[in-house]
Amino acid sequence: MKTVRFGGIAAAILCVALFVAGAARGQQDYPVSARTLKNGMKVLVQTDHSIPNVALYIFYRIGSRNERPGTTGLSHFFEHMMFNGAKKYGPGDLDKVMEANGGANNAYTTRDVTVYQDWFPRSALALIYDIESDRIRDLSFDPQKVKSEREVVASERRLSVDNENSGVLDEQLWATSYIAHPYQWPVVGWMSDIEQWTMEDLKHHFEMGYSPNNATMVVVGDVSADEIFILCENYIEPILTHAPPPPVTTVEPPQMGERRLVVHKAAELPLLMLGYHVPQSNNPDFYALNILRTILFQGESSRMYQRLVDKDQIALDVSSEVEPSFDPSMVEVVAQPKQGVDPQACEKAIYEELERAANTLVADTELEKAKNIRLVEFYRQMRTINGRANTIGTYEVFFGDYNKLFEAAKNYSGVAKEDVQRVAKVYFGANNRTVATLMPENGEKAKE
Amino acid sequence: MRRGRAIARLVRIAVVFVLVCSIAPAQTLHLPPHEKVVLKNGLTVLLLEKHGVPLVNISAIVKAGAGSDPSGQEGLATTTAGLLRKGTKKRSAQQFAADLDYIGGEFEAEAGPDFTGIRAEFLTKDLARGLDLFSDALLHPTFPQDETDKFLAQSVDAVKSAKDDPRSVMMPYYSGYLYGTHPYGRPTGGDEISLKRIQREGVVKFYETNYTPGNTIVAVAGEFNAAETKAKLEELFGAWDPRAVKDVVIPGAAPTKGKRLLLVDKPDASQTYFAIGNVGVAANDPDRVAIHVVNTILGGRFTSELNEALRVESGYTYGAQSFFDQRKMPGPFVIFSFTKNETTTPAIDLALKILAKLHKDGVTEEQLKSARSYIKGQFPPEIETSRQLARTITMHEFYGLGDDEVNQLEARLDAVTPGIARQVIGKHFPAENLVFVLIGKASAIGPAVQKYATSQDTRLISDPGFWPAPAAGKK
Repeated sequence: MKTVRFGGIAAAILCVALFVAGAARGQQDYPVSARTLKNGMKVLVQTDHSIPNVALYIFYRIGSRNERPGTTGLSHFFEHMMFNGAKKYGPGDLDKVMEANGGANNAYTTRDVTVYQDWFPRSALALIYDIESDRIRDLSFDPQKVKSEREVVASERRLSVDNENSGVLDEQLWATSYIAHPYQWPVVGWMSDIEQWTMEDLKHHFEMGYSPNNATMVVVGDVSADEIFILCENYIEPILTHAPPPPVTTVEPPQMGERRLVVHKAAELPLLMLGYHVPQSNNPDFYALNILRTILFQGESSRMYQRLVDKDQIALDVSSEVEPSFDPSMVEVVAQPKQGVDPQACEKAIYEELERAANTLVADTELEKAKNIRLVEFYRQMRTINGRANTIGTYEVFFGDYNKLFEAAKNYSGVAKEDVQRVAKVYFGANNRTVATLMPENGEKAKE
Repeated sequence: MRRGRAIARLVRIAVVFVLVCSIAPAQTLHLPPHEKVVLKNGLTVLLLEKHGVPLVNISAIVKAGAGSDPSGQEGLATTTAGLLRKGTKKRSAQQFAADLDYIGGEFEAEAGPDFTGIRAEFLTKDLARGLDLFSDALLHPTFPQDETDKFLAQSVDAVKSAKDDPRSVMMPYYSGYLYGTHPYGRPTGGDEISLKRIQREGVVKFYETNYTPGNTIVAVAGEFNAAETKAKLEELFGAWDPRAVKDVVIPGAAPTKGKRLLLVDKPDASQTYFAIGNVGVAANDPDRVAIHVVNTILGGRFTSELNEALRVESGYTYGAQSFFDQRKMPGPFVIFSFTKNETTTPAIDLALKILAKLHKDGVTEEQLKSARSYIKGQFPPEIETSRQLARTITMHEFYGLGDDEVNQLEARLDAVTPGIARQVIGKHFPAENLVFVLIGKASAIGPAVQKYATSQDTRLISDPGFWPAPAAGKK
């Protein structure tokens, strides 16, 4: 789950897809300059003069996995507080000054990271550094702002979870699939925790997560690497380093049997979500898993679409997702059953297709198709300065090296049919799955 | 980033917003050079080369959309668009999907109120195969009976599924209540009842009447060779039968007089979603740039008056915004937000107060300066990709606008003064005459919201259709 700062009806504009494949055009076409500042912050710069604008991302390696019961959702709440006033730019000033100078911003929080995004014309470059350094160094916590922002986050939770069936089900799925590791609680936090955080919790979170050596900055656009490094020396490098968050040591024990849960809720249609535990992003199986998911779920020629939507006509749509993660995570499968269809009919069809992938090698054309799709997706990420900044940062943070972005093509092309079969067998068995079903309480009945 | 389904639905809503944004500025920034060719059969072709990423975008618009749906068969234009890829003279639906996915291509077709948009994207190396697929769907669909039945059944369920997320159905309720039986009041995707009335014959007729070369604009943008591609396009599209073009004429709708309120009851809702407004302006309205500036100040950015009041200062909501959905004829103007049940009336009161303040005080030079700068600064990423460029030049062609929309925008923005803003506010932003649509828990908020309107209607979200109620006809 990813929680963004500012949404509303146009929220999706700000969503950026993760995970791309490598390509024929590689690093030589999209060169990146890297430097680590004396305080430990790594800075990556890519020049692109095609528009007179800049995308600047700062990835902090702190997310809901660094929280504990009682303070769930604190990382995300903190993300909101980063816009509510520091020493030089007081409450409300950051947004006003940035927008008056042609800039815009947003932020998102995941289980693993908190990411700040600025999009602005080149003319605002120095101003943005002034703003960013001010809040990293001297964030203030105005009690009035804490109070009103708490309400904003509660509204966000009501919007994205309480009043959205897939939000509710997703939350329950993770809470059931994980029994030990902090991935079990939602990024936005439980409502009772949202209501209870203290000022001390916030200050502690800042000290823990917002040290420069816990962050990576990515700048893409109408800039030169040299000018960015000079700005960083002036504005960012003097910020003192402190201790990063303590390591998350809890390891989720292997799941030893299917887990099931049901949510009864007012709804027009039922909903089905499945979760399968998979390794963290930097595991070598990442590539084979993505190829398998592409063959199974992507496009109308995919096996799941052909089976559930086209042939059996039991689902409206079926999809899968996995987020980048530091710790072993989950592939989620979501199916929207058609009216009058028992969600278990969708379950059965999905399991049969997963078994087929585990028992039989995929066809050559399917493997080629999946690799072609990953290649095109790489270019789709490279289309915009925003997409580049997010993708470069994601590879650097989750794979430990932005160069992995440019090696992805090679890594995908190395995936063999046998690898695809192996990951289907290893990760998509019954004992490794959690099944979440939402059953309409007073809308359309699932069974007619 | 977790739910493909929910996100896809939002994207569709977001298109409205992007369209509004695309009427924006740039002075240092110019549209890349592009070329217009009209083929002998009347097809308009636009070509724009943009290098850097090896992708090519192909966009077409057919100048007939949901506004051309026969009354009672809402969703016909959407169904026609959705079926283009579901069987052609040389490909079954399954073969089309296989050929498209094999090269990692994208293909989307969707009807809006004024037109049907068809869009595809391919790697440059696959352009010939991509054009073959694109022209196959646009020129040679066969609308197989079984695929039609399948599509319609899915569409009915998609409406039900959408009703589980109030945000995604706000616009059909709002448009229906604001425009009534006017074509812009129709739900573009149809509803649970109208979709069941659609027959294959109607789809074929809609296609044959409206999908003609004289009624279509095709734009190709991205990394390709325009000269070579032009020849290829002539070969593929030149043989398209030049049937007579039937112009779609949608009359302008009169704004609502007085105050009307529709409460859509969602008994399990813990927050109220509200839309307030009236009929707005057309895409080519002479005041469009000044309107864009004023709306940016009112509800078009994070520090807008609405978001400052409803989110930043009061914490009532996660977001509040306003926008003009600009169309060929005046489209809706909307103030949109949501808040928990308990703060429904304080939040709506505050939104109305902000609107009244706009009328009373106008905007200051300082606000204008900030908004101009914001629009200028945020505009370049609106025409960054070949997809955006294809859309921009196609929309200009459709609305009868030109490159000056981009090339002169900065100068046009600079010309907006507080005096002009005041005129525009009085002329285009509703004040006393307002339509309210609320989706929420009627038992919790019903009595309190009666104060907003002299005329009030209610319906249950699970009742089929949007507004007017399709079975009963006009209420």
